[in-house]
Amino acid sequence: MDEKFDCIIVGAGVAGLAAAMTLARNNMKFLLIEKGEFPGSKNVSGGVLWGSDLAKLVPNYWEEDAGWDRFINHRRLTFMDDQSTFSVDFKSSHFNETPYTGVVVLRSKFDRWLAEKVEEAIAESDFAMDSFIATNILVEEILMEDGKAIGIRTGEEKFYADSVIIAEGVNNLLTRQVGLQDAYVPADHMLTGIKEIIRFDQKVLEDRFQLNGKSGMSNEFVGFATDGVEGGGFLYTNKDTLSLGLVLGLKDLREKGKKPYDILNTFKKHPVIADMIKGGEVVEYSAHIVSSGDKRVMPKKLYSDGLVVCGEAANLLMNAGKAIQGMDYAMRSGILAADTIVESKKAGDFSDSAMKKYQDRLDDSYVMKDINNFQDAVHLLHDPVMTQKVPNLICDFGRNFFSIKNEPTKKARTMLGDSVKKHASYWDLVKLGLKGGKAL
Amino acid sequence: MQETKNLSLPERLGLVSYRNQAKSEIKPHIIVDTDICNSTCPHKCTTYVCPANCYTMDEKGVVHFQVEDCIECGTCMYACDQGAVDWNFPDPEIGRGVTWNFG
Repeated sequence: MDEKFDCIIVGAGVAGLAAAMTLARNNMKFLLIEKGEFPGSKNVSGGVLWGSDLAKLVPNYWEEDAGWDRFINHRRLTFMDDQSTFSVDFKSSHFNETPYTGVVVLRSKFDRWLAEKVEEAIAESDFAMDSFIATNILVEEILMEDGKAIGIRTGEEKFYADSVIIAEGVNNLLTRQVGLQDAYVPADHMLTGIKEIIRFDQKVLEDRFQLNGKSGMSNEFVGFATDGVEGGGFLYTNKDTLSLGLVLGLKDLREKGKKPYDILNTFKKHPVIADMIKGGEVVEYSAHIVSSGDKRVMPKKLYSDGLVVCGEAANLLMNAGKAIQGMDYAMRSGILAADTIVESKKAGDFSDSAMKKYQDRLDDSYVMKDINNFQDAVHLLHDPVMTQKVPNLICDFGRNFFSIKNEPTKKARTMLGDSVKKHASYWDLVKLGLKGGKAL
Repeated sequence: MQETKNLSLPERLGLVSYRNQAKSEIKPHIIVDTDICNSTCPHKCTTYVCPANCYTMDEKGVVHFQVEDCIECGTCMYACDQGAVDWNFPDPEIGRGVTWNFG
């Protein structure tokens, strides 16, 4: 391997694998380096891969019984106080159509499967013997020469390439090393995600969540789930397990002095959650930092001479209330990064201005359009009024509305007014409404 | 059917597949200058925000760090605003760190 590669990709997560697949299909000679034992072995996600881009990488992936766990045809957003839940619930057979609107994945399985597909694409490419996925290798440094990325170093070994794609994930040490991200990233717009995988008899899980064949459900939670800390909860149905977890605003967690696993315990003891997970066996506990989608934390620039940054390394992740999107952003950014490298190879130009085309492509894609358009929604979701007062007042209203007391019944509007007075103020809601109006 | 009991943190960490467990000596991937934690840090937040409780406070209020239970989440790297945490990825051969079974 002493020859130069067209490209070295650092990290075989969703972004790196999407880039690799695109490079292989375009007959490029590349090296994809992963620090874990196998692709996916160090990745944690919620996780739903939203949208239809997966079909671009693996056409008719739905005909395969591997890689992904379930497709989503049932969505639920739940407001929660200490005893109650009030949900917006949508289920539709429209979502049974392929390509699916989202698939639930477990990364240790999904990324490994996707890497096998990349291996197949490499085998069919002009560089079947010269492109590689190399695991168990930690990239310690991006090699720079006159401000241009020329390769990578691992231990004493160096590998050279015309270009480098950094897809190292949210803990983006190399992105910091090359100066595209600050050396210290504060906690302000980062969240700590923690998750348990809870196993069931498959039939119990399918009956409990009304799953049919490979259909699945996603449920997000706001309010009591996070015990007063900014953030939210999630529950996704896998084949015979649940992914149940929380994302907790790290700055708020620090200020409130709470332990993430204590909050998870409280969440799991909530009567509604306890009913959902009854009889299940916890088989994995995991945690990982995620970015929030707040642009203030993102690297200012996602390219430099001979180099591009994609996926969570570029903090491409957002929860604007509709879904937690990250893996789909990773996939699209990986594809766009590789498209740019392919074009650069043809032109023989890997300069700063050639790499800028990646940023332009990303800015023109739904990824940056959504991130730019929904910044207000991101801020709104992290507003304590939204994460605490609103769920409490909604649940209070629900309890009154759905109670039958054999007494004269108040008008719903009066009940709502009572709940607002008890848990917030009209002024809180006016402020929230103004923010919400802007966000939507 | 039984209500699902919450596991203790050691029980939870017992489910994690750590790398190089057979090796007696490992190279720590995180170096913590606990002198900073124990002198000027006003919050000692790593002792509660770390999801794997790698940072502990003893009865005298002194902060200690151990890398063995670390699940590479990155939380401490952001939470510590005092410059005490030097965070790196574990070496695949001689470091600790995780291999997730589900992820």
